[in-house]
Amino acid sequence: MDSAMQNSNPTILNIADLPTRLRPASSRKSGTYRGGILALTLSSLADPTDLALSPYGSEESDDDTGLMEEPIDEQEIYDLVSTISDPEHPISLGALAVVSLPDISIRPTLPEVPSSLLRTVTVLITPTITHCSLATVIGLGVRVRLEQSLPPRFRVDVRIKEGTHSTADEVNKQLADKERVAAALENGTLMGVIAKMLETCQ
Amino acid sequence: MSALQTFLLVVDHDKQEAKQIAERIAQDVESKKTTLIEVVQSLGEYINDEDPILRGKAVSYLTAVIKALPPKFLSRQQIQVLTTFFCDRIEDGGAVAGLETLQKLDRFNKPLAEEVAQAVFDRFQELQSRSQSQRFQVYQLLNEMMINHRAALHDMGDESLVGIVNLMTGEKDPRNLMLVFSILKVVMVEWDISNHAEALFDSVYNYFPITFRPPPNDPYGITAQDLKDRLQDCISANSLFAPHAVPSLLDKLDSTSPNVKKDALSALIACVKLYDPNTVSKYSITIWETLKFEILNAQEEFLSELSLLVLSSIAQRLSEGVTQVSDQLPLAVYLRPITKECNEQIREPQQKQAKPAQQILSSVSAASAASFTLIVQTVVAPLLTIYQEADGIAKQRALLDTLGVLFDSAIRVFGEWASRDPEPTLDNPLLEFKDQFSDIFGQALMGVIKEEFSFRTSALKGFLRLSTLRNYFQDNEIGLFVQYLDEILLKEESVGRDDLKKEAIAVLTEISKYKPRLILDITFPAFVATLPDSGDGPDSGYISTLESLAQISVEKDVFETLVRRLLSKLSILLQKEEPGSVAYPRAILSTILYAMNQRKLDQDPNLELYYDKIVVGLCRSAAAAASGKATNNILNDATVLDVLGRLCNVIVKSLPKSKQEEVAWNTLSLFASKDGFQEVTLASSPSDNHRRTMILSTYLAASLPRDLKNDSPCTPNSPALISKVLTHITALCISETEPATQLALLRYLALWVNKSLEKEHLELATAILDSLLSPDVQDPKLSPSQIKTIFWLSKGLVLRLSPKTTQILTTLLKLLSSTDEETSTTAARGFALLLRDDEVLSTANFANIRLLSKQRVFTTLIPLISSRIRKVNITGTSTATPTPPHIKPSHLTALSGILSTISPTLVTPELPTLLPLLLQSLDLQTAPSQPIRAATLETLAVIIRDNGVSVIEECGHVQSLVTRLLKTAEHAPASGAINGPRLRVDALKCLFLLAQTPASSSDAPAIAKAGKLSPLLPVKYQVLRALRTVLDDPKRDVRKAAVDARGAWLRGVDDAPDEQDE
Repeated sequence: MDSAMQNSNPTILNIADLPTRLRPASSRKSGTYRGGILALTLSSLADPTDLALSPYGSEESDDDTGLMEEPIDEQEIYDLVSTISDPEHPISLGALAVVSLPDISIRPTLPEVPSSLLRTVTVLITPTITHCSLATVIGLGVRVRLEQSLPPRFRVDVRIKEGTHSTADEVNKQLADKERVAAALENGTLMGVIAKMLETCQ
Repeated sequence: MSALQTFLLVVDHDKQEAKQIAERIAQDVESKKTTLIEVVQSLGEYINDEDPILRGKAVSYLTAVIKALPPKFLSRQQIQVLTTFFCDRIEDGGAVAGLETLQKLDRFNKPLAEEVAQAVFDRFQELQSRSQSQRFQVYQLLNEMMINHRAALHDMGDESLVGIVNLMTGEKDPRNLMLVFSILKVVMVEWDISNHAEALFDSVYNYFPITFRPPPNDPYGITAQDLKDRLQDCISANSLFAPHAVPSLLDKLDSTSPNVKKDALSALIACVKLYDPNTVSKYSITIWETLKFEILNAQEEFLSELSLLVLSSIAQRLSEGVTQVSDQLPLAVYLRPITKECNEQIREPQQKQAKPAQQILSSVSAASAASFTLIVQTVVAPLLTIYQEADGIAKQRALLDTLGVLFDSAIRVFGEWASRDPEPTLDNPLLEFKDQFSDIFGQALMGVIKEEFSFRTSALKGFLRLSTLRNYFQDNEIGLFVQYLDEILLKEESVGRDDLKKEAIAVLTEISKYKPRLILDITFPAFVATLPDSGDGPDSGYISTLESLAQISVEKDVFETLVRRLLSKLSILLQKEEPGSVAYPRAILSTILYAMNQRKLDQDPNLELYYDKIVVGLCRSAAAAASGKATNNILNDATVLDVLGRLCNVIVKSLPKSKQEEVAWNTLSLFASKDGFQEVTLASSPSDNHRRTMILSTYLAASLPRDLKNDSPCTPNSPALISKVLTHITALCISETEPATQLALLRYLALWVNKSLEKEHLELATAILDSLLSPDVQDPKLSPSQIKTIFWLSKGLVLRLSPKTTQILTTLLKLLSSTDEETSTTAARGFALLLRDDEVLSTANFANIRLLSKQRVFTTLIPLISSRIRKVNITGTSTATPTPPHIKPSHLTALSGILSTISPTLVTPELPTLLPLLLQSLDLQTAPSQPIRAATLETLAVIIRDNGVSVIEECGHVQSLVTRLLKTAEHAPASGAINGPRLRVDALKCLFLLAQTPASSSDAPAIAKAGKLSPLLPVKYQVLRALRTVLDDPKRDVRKAAVDARGAWLRGVDDAPDEQDE
């Protein structure tokens, strides 16, 4: 859509080095006897055709009773947004360090009401260059992704990280203005760009 | 009426008749009844007629007659007269065809050919205005003359060149162009084109790029690619085109259409490959300057790949005949700006353009040894400097990766390990840096902070490439590397994802294939030394050592050493009075088994040894242990026997027939001497330990092929004896209390019935089945052990489609309706067992599994189950005869069990019947029903993935399916519904697939689809709303699945188009 790229040669982080939980579960426990290659040879001993009532999915703790707390945390938010593509490059926001784990925070929306479940997610965006006109689009993309993927009790707050953009205040105002965000999302072309950015989400 | 008149009358509507007339006249001419002159004279009045159509017909008459004459009939003079005649009348229809016939004749000579060509070129304007098919004839004539009389045309020189160009100018028909391009290519390659290069080039380049799209049902079957290929052949045909071709093609790269760019790049590649090297050299830098942008700012992957191919092709052409590198070479001149640009880009290796720069270096350096040498000379030294000055590990890592790219090129140029291809004459320029590389990569691998795994992995990969490179590292240098790897595997703690260790094992495996000595001398002693003498204590570090050993032992010598060392460890263990945990000997056996499965055992020269030591030796020891004669209880352990059994199974399958017969005699006696050990089936009351040896016997029995000549006592063949032994084993199965032993006995029974029993003895097995569960039984009540035995026995019979299959299946179904809840629910789970792939009763173990058995079970049972459920649904509402509440879940369990073992292609046609049942099974809300629902969801997922939502829509169940899926995805402990996290994830996956899979992936044409709304649209908002709640699920995996599903519905299900737009 624009003729010239704003930043044609940004620095890219190695994807393998990014913090994430999105890895195949099997590789997590290799090396231990359970997942190791020798375990294969032990599988059949437990009668696969045992007709007795076996607890369903006995391998992993599959019940909700033990309820290991798995609240939505910063890492989960990061995994939601880090795979969004940059509108300029076919590279993820995580690899471009536009979003990074330390710049995500989750706080109670109403700290004075401890029982309230309302939470506010703040994501700070670091544009690759300080005059990037696409910062708003990126912010909007992150916002859309989070609003689609988080339960209603979460409030989403997307802002430009302080000191990383020349017109940060203006962009922040735009991103925080509900009316303007809603209007932007009515815009077909803009939604097309954002849909493309979100295509790569895992 | 004369023959000519008749001809003129019929030629339009009856070609066949016209041809016959001509043939008759030709015969007359041949037999001298008439003369050719008379034939020509007969044309008289028509040939000068005003009407060109009539004239054309008259000329075709003559052509037809000539065509029908034998090839040698016409004299030279006659040919000459006719040629002149046709040439004069070339604008009349039929003349061109006549000439084409004449030029094929032997007596047609060069001057005549020139005359014909001249005539064609002179009248090109008239010929051009002809219809497409007549133009085709003209090109055909020219093409034939190119084949038969090329010298004549060639000698005409510029005249023929210009003539052909004039003739074809403005041609648009694809079939004609195919001919034109091939005629022109000959001219371009063989004529002296120096005076007309530009005209000739323009005549073909006008057609670039080709945008032709063949019409549907095109009779000629010409594709755009055919035309593109021929056009490309023309463009690349002559180096003299270069001044026109190269700039024009580079210009085309400004096009916005990727397809045009693709054609331009392909043509460029062809030009580079065919123009002479001097020409290529002249334009090489211009090409680089333009293509640079295509690669560094790649729009499309394939364009950048093609551009890289252009660059490497140039390097290849410029390397031709180069035996020594110097700065003056055209190749060096070409490479200079490239390396300069790349050096700049890889200076900041983490930036985006470093990657394309790497690709450029990679493809250009792999072009030839000379090219590689020149690049290494300019690139490596600066890279090493940057590496030394680099301020961060991430940067250093990226630099190592860049070096790795060069190593890859080196391998492509100089070969790997001991490859036999001839070596390039140039020395490998990397040799100069050998010590530096060794230091850098060694330090990166072992020196820095141990936690920098990705950095170290890069170093590891670089090291492997250098070891792979032919004639680079000496064995002792690779040995050092092997030591590093051993250290990583043995000394370092496992952390995180362990990629480094995995990579290290993979590398050792690779080295072991080519340098087994290093592994045997360095790795083996180090690893084996860490193995303990007994598996006592909490330390199970030996496991990872054994795992590593198992994986690297792929090479023959290494494998043999592994087996020897481990067996001797094992035999020490077997002698010990207090050997500690059985996990250790079991792990040793598993290691051998794993390594053995990785190899082709039947070609192993040591097979005999393995048979003696493992099969005979260890089975005998197991028999001794069962009789209480062993020093310890290792071989009494079920898990150890299981691994040993599989090991024996693998070995026996590879043995020659004679040895297998020996095994057949010993499946039950386990190679023990008669007095010491009694076969389980003969012993009066065998002990637990004794019965456990059935695990070994079953694996041995499984390993024997069906056609083995077998008169051993294990498989009797008199009916009375068979019956007796079968009954005995069945009784053992039912009374067995130890699960592992019982499974072995059941498998033994099923194997025997399935593969050893002769057809005529099958009824003996059926009789035993009947005695357990009579076909006439009403309301059976059986113990789980009995039910299990019944199902295994049935499995053996059903898989080979024994004659009573249908009866067996219907009888099994009666178990489900038992008023006894335990009988009913246990049997329900048994149905999954019937068709499930079993590890022992498998085709690999020569079981008799008929292809149609699955279909048979499916078509027999499904209608019965579904009608039964329907009946229960109806009587459930009336109170007359209440059905016990367990009956319906049991039937649904049985159904899901069968479906889980049947391929979806069988299931899909039955979907209208099955879908209501599947939906009912999703309605079950209890904890015990979770496996059923999981199986149902799995079946649904496969169906949806393969067919899309349309199959569901056809059955009219979209709404009810979606509602149930949403309900299953819900975590609502308050409502009493029990949906485990995995179940919730599975339900969400189905929802995801519904929206993800294209609505009609099948052959429905796009037009029919357009305007049709998605069948999912009515439920879209229900789904989105419900999923919003699921996004708050307490389990992370469920939330993830919900995010994906919701995303798919937001993306994949389009809203109705706005009314206002229209």
